[in-house]
Amino acid sequence: MKKSIKDLLKIPGVHGYVISQDKRVQIKLPSKHPFAGAKEQFQELYAALALTQQRPGNIVEIFLEDLTLTVFPNTDRMLTVVSSSQVNQAFVRMTGKLLIADMNKES
Amino acid sequence: MKQDISGDLENTRCPEIIKILSLGKRTGRLFLTNGAETGNIFFNEGHVIHAQCGSLSGTKAIYELAVWTSGEYRFHVDEVPHGTTIDMGMEEILAETTNRIRQMDKVTTLIPSSSIVYTLEPDIRERDLQLKSFQWKALANVDAKKSIAEIAQLIGYGVSDTMRIFYTLVKLGLIKEAVQTEVHRGFQPVILPDVPFIESLKMALIKAIGPIAPVIIMEISREMGIDLLSDTMEQKASLIETLSSRIPDERMSLKFLDDMTDWLKADGDHS
Repeated sequence: MKKSIKDLLKIPGVHGYVISQDKRVQIKLPSKHPFAGAKEQFQELYAALALTQQRPGNIVEIFLEDLTLTVFPNTDRMLTVVSSSQVNQAFVRMTGKLLIADMNKES
Repeated sequence: MKQDISGDLENTRCPEIIKILSLGKRTGRLFLTNGAETGNIFFNEGHVIHAQCGSLSGTKAIYELAVWTSGEYRFHVDEVPHGTTIDMGMEEILAETTNRIRQMDKVTTLIPSSSIVYTLEPDIRERDLQLKSFQWKALANVDAKKSIAEIAQLIGYGVSDTMRIFYTLVKLGLIKEAVQTEVHRGFQPVILPDVPFIESLKMALIKAIGPIAPVIIMEISREMGIDLLSDTMEQKASLIETLSSRIPDERMSLKFLDDMTDWLKADGDHS
């Protein structure tokens, strides 16, 4: 069982992803994407969703006007998938769940 | 056919009704229903002269009817039986029925329903046991398939009498409640659509949770209102995701998700 981040990016409608861990935030989004420089906001999101309360295994979906953030908090890191609102949400959740489980195993 | 007394057995149980009809020196038929079961008690000027409940008649039928705690009753005036099966004083009948109710209340704390299915206890303690013939008769029919009510019918006893026998057998540690009786009893072979997606889904879920998988697929798809023949990626993904969330073992759940995401991906690539 091995899923790579490429599997996630291949899903039609997925713009990119963000991995937050400790104080580091790794943003992989097209340079002109509105969230490409939103490091602080993702740090705050990480603090709010993963640091204040542990939610391993949970999935948090944030629906914005034309974007969807699908957040996979885990014990020591958090994966956020940024996608269009027309994405196959169930497919994103499935792939994200597998990715975060793999990341957890590796750490 | 005139009716003049009717009501609910939850509020007034059979011995009380018998007492009222006896004091009023009534003649007629007391008709009782409890779900699909029915019974009759005939009175002649306040004396109980005949009773019938299923295949039981006489006092056995009265004792069976006495313990019913739900259902309805109606008294039909002046209806008389073809014969008499009871020749007992009213006090004796009332004392015995009250006694039966007390016993039944105790039995139902351990055996709440006659639809329960029992199986033989495999780890029986070594000791001397003496069973009466009627207990042996009931025990010989315990097979993890038949309910108490079905066994009662087979051995020709009343349901309440059979429940009392089962109470003793449970207390003796000879039988125990069969696991997942509802699933066994209600199990019907599930036929899923013969399409590649459902076939793969079924195989992956069987690996995760065993042969119950087709039943679960059918149930979840009904719950979610998903057409199993639908070809939309959204519906397929939703079904997979929900099914994975019902797999108790996390490792198996992820394995199932992994297999099915690969399947979906390959399917998406082909189409």
